[in-house]
Amino acid sequence: MIYLAPHLLAGLDFRTLPEQLVNGLFLGAIYALIALGYTMVYGVLRLINFAHGEVYMLGAYTALFVSYYLGFGPASNATHSSAVNLLIMLFASMTVCALIGVIIERFAYRPMRNHSRIASLITAIGISLLLQYGGALFLPNSPPPSINEQVNPYRGSTSLVIVGASQADKNAVGAAEPAAATAKKAFDDYLASHPMESEFQVSKAAEPLRDAARDTQVKLDNAKRKVATSGVSITIRYGELIIFGTSLVLMIILTYLVMFTKRGRAMRAVSHDFDSAALMGVNVNSIITFTFVIGSALAGAGAMMQATLKGSTISTFFGLLPGVKAFVAAVLGGIGNIPGAVLGGLLMGLAETTVIWMGYSRYADAIAFVVLIVVLLLKPGGLLGSAKVEKV
Amino acid sequence: MFWLKRLASMVVAVLGCFVVDSLIRHSFGDYEQRIIVLAALYVTLAVSLNLINGITGQFSIGHAAFYQVGAYTAGFISRRYIHDLGHHPPPIPWLIGMIFLAAAAASLAGFVVGLPSLRLKGDYLAIVTLGFGEIIRIVVQNTDELGGSYALDNIPKIQPIWLTLLLAVTCIAVCRNLIKTARGLTFLAVREDEVASSAMGVNVTGVKVTAFIIGSAFAGAAGALLAHYEGLITPTTFAMDVSFIILTMVVLGGTGSITGSVFAALFLSYLPEYLRGLKNAKGDPLVVSGTAIIAGLICVVLAVVFIKKILDAGRGSPKSRGFTYVGIIVAAMCLEPLFSALLHPVKSLAAMQIEAGQLRMVIFAVTLVVLMLLRPQGVFAHHEFSWSFVRKLFGGRNGPTTGVAA
Repeated sequence: MIYLAPHLLAGLDFRTLPEQLVNGLFLGAIYALIALGYTMVYGVLRLINFAHGEVYMLGAYTALFVSYYLGFGPASNATHSSAVNLLIMLFASMTVCALIGVIIERFAYRPMRNHSRIASLITAIGISLLLQYGGALFLPNSPPPSINEQVNPYRGSTSLVIVGASQADKNAVGAAEPAAATAKKAFDDYLASHPMESEFQVSKAAEPLRDAARDTQVKLDNAKRKVATSGVSITIRYGELIIFGTSLVLMIILTYLVMFTKRGRAMRAVSHDFDSAALMGVNVNSIITFTFVIGSALAGAGAMMQATLKGSTISTFFGLLPGVKAFVAAVLGGIGNIPGAVLGGLLMGLAETTVIWMGYSRYADAIAFVVLIVVLLLKPGGLLGSAKVEKV
Repeated sequence: MFWLKRLASMVVAVLGCFVVDSLIRHSFGDYEQRIIVLAALYVTLAVSLNLINGITGQFSIGHAAFYQVGAYTAGFISRRYIHDLGHHPPPIPWLIGMIFLAAAAASLAGFVVGLPSLRLKGDYLAIVTLGFGEIIRIVVQNTDELGGSYALDNIPKIQPIWLTLLLAVTCIAVCRNLIKTARGLTFLAVREDEVASSAMGVNVTGVKVTAFIIGSAFAGAAGALLAHYEGLITPTTFAMDVSFIILTMVVLGGTGSITGSVFAALFLSYLPEYLRGLKNAKGDPLVVSGTAIIAGLICVVLAVVFIKKILDAGRGSPKSRGFTYVGIIVAAMCLEPLFSALLHPVKSLAAMQIEAGQLRMVIFAVTLVVLMLLRPQGVFAHHEFSWSFVRKLFGGRNGPTTGVAA
């Protein structure tokens, strides 16, 4: 391994690392939102809700249809969008997802509650397959649609400089600029006085002029590029910043709901001990419904933001990989533990972008499973988990 | 006498496979032959997964991974030796050798997956097996020597139908005989109660790992046959939904019932072909409208709700309840056109034209959910086919039962 290390490190460009880490955090925010749904449902029902990824998928489709309704169809050339449109889409996705989550719980999971956990798990797998393949029959699937990017008014980006370029490089740009400007001006003047000639067709006499203009421009560009790459800067898209901010707000609301309301306390009680909570007068059914409402709504918010602000294409398998990765995130943080899900989600995002940064982007999807297996073998309770994994 | 019987049954099995092989070759075309081969492979896969899930009580949902390991091992070596290097070994002995090699490779993979099962149970084990399957698929997809995401092609085609049948029969025989031995009873003991069986001196770890090794070895052998039958394998042949199909077969037949797995595998391999073969009056593939599908789903939901109600109430004799169920199902079938007519005004649904063959995975999914809601133990539950049952069916006296108690 020690001999391998220099080879592995040689191909890495550490200047792009900060940007990749920031991207990882933004990616992780979405995973965290989905992971919260997994972890909350697992907390109260001890059930891996395999259909959660499909709820997420349906959230993206809801956002798509609402965007059509708002006048941003595939063929429309509407350009004036505003935050209001995004908010409408967000609330629509959250509402529809909450509804779907409740329906799934009521008709598929509740009748299974007295059966073995494996039976519930198979039901969950069945619902997930039904939504994937049944959805493929009825929802626009091929070619995979994507939400018109004009819906999103925040498509710009900003550059955040962490370490500036060295003074010598900046001086080189300063030195190259006047030379390039004079050479260009001389050539432009020549062209202006000879209207028959253009940059690509000049007489023999003017060729040195043209070449000088070209060479100085190349020198200037090289110097500028050197300045751009020698510093460390982070390009942040406003859309991703909004995703991160919205996720934070939603998580704060969730924390309030769970920690400081009566229902939240009941939910924690059910999660702690299902039967005792029922004996203490907690309406377990309504608490489970409440859990599905919140978890699914969070997934819907994540799906809408992923589909709108990042512009991912949507298919009925849209939720498959994010769902699995978010599940891994929940396990990583300790399933059943709400801060753990957020931590796990962010770590999963970081792990994925780090793998991509190291040049193994083709394995980015496999890293989730590797993390999962390692966590389950070394620390099955997860990082923050107090939840005990069933052991022999 | 016992060994004589054993030997005779083995000879009969091999000869039987040869006879069926020649019958199939004489009476069916290539297309039907392929379906039969795939059905036999699915029987092997379902019975071997049943050993892990049903008999040992673990929950593995990544069985396609072992299938894939076997297929790629055999396919890669065969291609290298026969296609690339130009050797010409006798095909059948070579294929048998490849089957053993693929089984060894897959059982190694099974051992690796079986290890986490020492620490994990239930849904956690499920997700690890699923993850393991995906890792294998992604690694294969990114290995150019194995054809990458395109395909591993130019595998020499060796297509003995009798060998696929023999593999299925062997798999069934191994599993059936296993649970009749003292060693096999430990598998059942682990399923029923791990703590109690370990207190009784059962090596729980050993049993679980053995189950994984045997189960994955048969899946790998099936993979070797598939690779040589098709001559071309792609990573998507072994995607997650294949694992789910195999799981559906095991669950539908009844987790723990070998008979159930066999019948479910045959039924579920035949179903998509039946759907694809459905023709309308003009001889084109049958097309279903969106309204019919939605109406059908509504009827399924209604029937399930009513049957579930009666099931939970548990009143009346089994016979009268059976009649009620049949009545509900018939009523639901009669209501289907009514709902279709009610939904007809929805233009976008009515205009939708869906080929019956596309409904395959939807039907599998509905089967899984409905089965779990109404009969989580599967169609055959823990029951096995037995000759005494057949004798009883034809009015014979009740012989000693060989069925394993649930």
